[in-house]
Amino acid sequence: MLGVLNLLPGIKRLSLNDVPMTLAAFIVGAPVIGAILIGIFAGGGDVWTHITQTFFWTYTANTLAIMVLMTILMLISAVPTAWLVTMYDFPGRALFSWVLILPLAVPGYVLAFSYADFLGVVGPFQSGIRELTGLSARDYWFPDIRSLPGCAFVLSAALYPYVYLSARAGFQTQSLGALEAARSLGANARTRFWRIALPGARPAIAAGLALALMEAAADYGAAGFLGVQTLTVGVFRAWSSFGDPAAGARLAIVLIGICLFLQWLERHDRGAAGYQTNARRAHIIIRTPLKGTQALLATGFCALVFLLGFGLPVTNLIAQALDVRDQTPPIGSALWNSLRLAALGAGAAFCVALIIALGTHKKRPIAQLVNLLTASGYAVPGAVLALGALYALVQFKLPLTGSAALGLLVWVYVCRFTTAGAQPMEAALKRAPESYDHAARSLGAGPMRRLLSIDLPIITPGASVGALILFVEILKELPATLMLRPFDWDTLAVRAYAYASDERLSAAALPSLAITLAGLLPVILLSWRLSHNASGRHQ
Amino acid sequence: MTDPAPLIVETVTRRYAGRAVVDAASLRLEPGRITALLGKSGAGKSTLLRLIAGLERPDAGAIRIGDKLLSDPKTMIPAEKRRIGLIFQDFALFPHLTALQNIQFGLSSLPKSDAQALARDWLERIGLGARADAYPHQLSGGEQQRVAIARAFAPEPIAILMDEPFSGLDPALREDLRDVTLGAVRASQTPALLVTHDAHEAMVSADHLAVMRAGKIVQEGSPEAVYTQPVDKGVATALGPIIFLDGQVTNGETAIHTVFGPLEAPDSMCESGKTYSVGIRPEAVLIDAASPIKADILVSRRNGPMRQLQIEASGVKAMILVPASVPAEAGQQIGIRLDPSACMVF
Repeated sequence: MLGVLNLLPGIKRLSLNDVPMTLAAFIVGAPVIGAILIGIFAGGGDVWTHITQTFFWTYTANTLAIMVLMTILMLISAVPTAWLVTMYDFPGRALFSWVLILPLAVPGYVLAFSYADFLGVVGPFQSGIRELTGLSARDYWFPDIRSLPGCAFVLSAALYPYVYLSARAGFQTQSLGALEAARSLGANARTRFWRIALPGARPAIAAGLALALMEAAADYGAAGFLGVQTLTVGVFRAWSSFGDPAAGARLAIVLIGICLFLQWLERHDRGAAGYQTNARRAHIIIRTPLKGTQALLATGFCALVFLLGFGLPVTNLIAQALDVRDQTPPIGSALWNSLRLAALGAGAAFCVALIIALGTHKKRPIAQLVNLLTASGYAVPGAVLALGALYALVQFKLPLTGSAALGLLVWVYVCRFTTAGAQPMEAALKRAPESYDHAARSLGAGPMRRLLSIDLPIITPGASVGALILFVEILKELPATLMLRPFDWDTLAVRAYAYASDERLSAAALPSLAITLAGLLPVILLSWRLSHNASGRHQ
Repeated sequence: MTDPAPLIVETVTRRYAGRAVVDAASLRLEPGRITALLGKSGAGKSTLLRLIAGLERPDAGAIRIGDKLLSDPKTMIPAEKRRIGLIFQDFALFPHLTALQNIQFGLSSLPKSDAQALARDWLERIGLGARADAYPHQLSGGEQQRVAIARAFAPEPIAILMDEPFSGLDPALREDLRDVTLGAVRASQTPALLVTHDAHEAMVSADHLAVMRAGKIVQEGSPEAVYTQPVDKGVATALGPIIFLDGQVTNGETAIHTVFGPLEAPDSMCESGKTYSVGIRPEAVLIDAASPIKADILVSRRNGPMRQLQIEASGVKAMILVPASVPAEAGQQIGIRLDPSACMVF
């Protein structure tokens, strides 16, 4: 954050060419700064006093407790699986290496619905136990998924792939020489893991962990559904139960603080991880084949993690959706609304992301500031941004769920997700050195021709991935959509959440599955690209 | 084609945060001649190239082609209007365009069919007629640089600037590419600037050599002249390996005496009793059995066509190059003398 001061001199050098970047900075930055200012200056009053006296410490403690539990759960699931698929060969390794990413496609709230149903008293799991043992529900104790540990479990199942992916990248890019040197010095596999590989991949793992925890802190759907009083749930309730956005905004400041800290941690450690990659040499890791019990244990562990994160809950959802006992209402209109809204939001965010990616590539003076703002927008939970929008609507005496609210909802999407769309574009442009621009200029190409015939073709692959990510992220978004959508105007996510809250889990299954299906597209594309890049397409 | 005109850099200065990266540098690039700009990294070579290319604006001075002003602190013809060709170390071929399309990129002022025909001609000239539809990543490093050279020359630029164009290539390819480039410069009678940190490359490629240090052009002239008559020790060191020995002129004599033998001093240097610094290149020490000055051979190695010896005389060590036919083994003692034409006195 100290960087902010260094950014200021850049502002003096602004010119007419910087208008698009400045506009992008405003679009992305205003909601974040607005939400923080509302929290500081407009909060207070009776509701705030009430919240501090009753819920504040519970909210904060619950949020932190979930994060601690998740850290443990994600580390013991994601790091060993990443190590196994990178370093060893065992039955199913090739399959596991990519299916372990699939939970990224499933929003946390969808996993929560499915698990609540599956593990509930009347769910298949407990019914099975009763059938097998002949006991009745009163005769035994069973852990309740609608609890803080349950919520931590569900969110870990949904978010562990962030840790898995970064740990795998960390293991893959570390110096093979170091591992071989350790071997020649007599270190066995266990020593190599604990003394060489794990410390080497630590920055990457920490970065992935920070990202997963940030998503968890921003989660409303899973915690709200499972009845766990987290800060994000508190922010939402401050509005929905007490009707006081300002009190919610003040509560949100703690949340923003946690998320910005995690974001800083992620960037900080990602930077540290960058030093260690020696990109020049191709790392061809020769995997050690595992045999017998060891192979069985490796396959079993990977299978368990996959089943808990994806296999079991998604199978249960499919079973629910096919279940005809609860007549599933048609989801046509919700699907249409979802697609329209996601297309609108993704279109707007795409334009802003394009401006930012190109501006960053051209080293515009405020590029760093704009990137800091987009990163902050991503860190601020959707519920908090929506709260800021509601506050603005109240101030201007506008209808809270009209077309103005819909416009603000799109704005919230842009603010929150632009960075997710800009990142693949910036990655694509990183492959275009400054000399392309200079070469084009020396060959007589003016600004327009350079944009159309050099920058845009180079950015296209990254831009299409960015657009897809934006579309799906917005399709999955729940809290802001829930708060700002027009009255009686449902999306898939809203419909699924409403059914699930009414305990109509089989009715929630179909929209949940539709969201999951859409989410699978970019995840499969991502895993395909990861394996494709590893084979070294570029020269 | 417009008449070739020299490109003139007049006392150009460029400052970053108050520090002059290019400091009152002047340079004249003659048509059809390659001028090498030699200097260490950070000497300001690349900045000077960017100034000439029109990618940066000078804080003082002017850049002209013939009598036409290209840039000064008030005027700035942008890079895309200058028609100055650039060739880069990383080739900078557009990755999404084929070899043919890359060459055609700078020919947009011509009708499309003419542009394509001209680009094809260039492909033939550089020996890549069969690779017209290949994308850059399908070409080898040498082929990529050929395309980059053709792309820069095809629009008939008024000058060509090359930034370490051969350093990404292996030695065998360099010779080859150098010939292609030199041929194109001569044929087009274009002024050309070659920026490099490699003294060997500068000497074998260029007709004219300018040495840059801390933003200033400290010496220019033919490679021969700069190598044999450097203005100071820094330039001498920049052009190749050299050691410096102290030597005195004894009363009544015209020779400077060093531990490697006497050196006939230039008249102006003949001040009795005074100490001079003598720069000795590896080829300046000759083996002469009759010489009273003796040296021990510490190491003897074959170095391609020459033999490289590590010798020691009166406690001073030096690396020298002698013809490979001269028998010399480690442990031997030899007589040595200095060749005045390869020594310099400071």
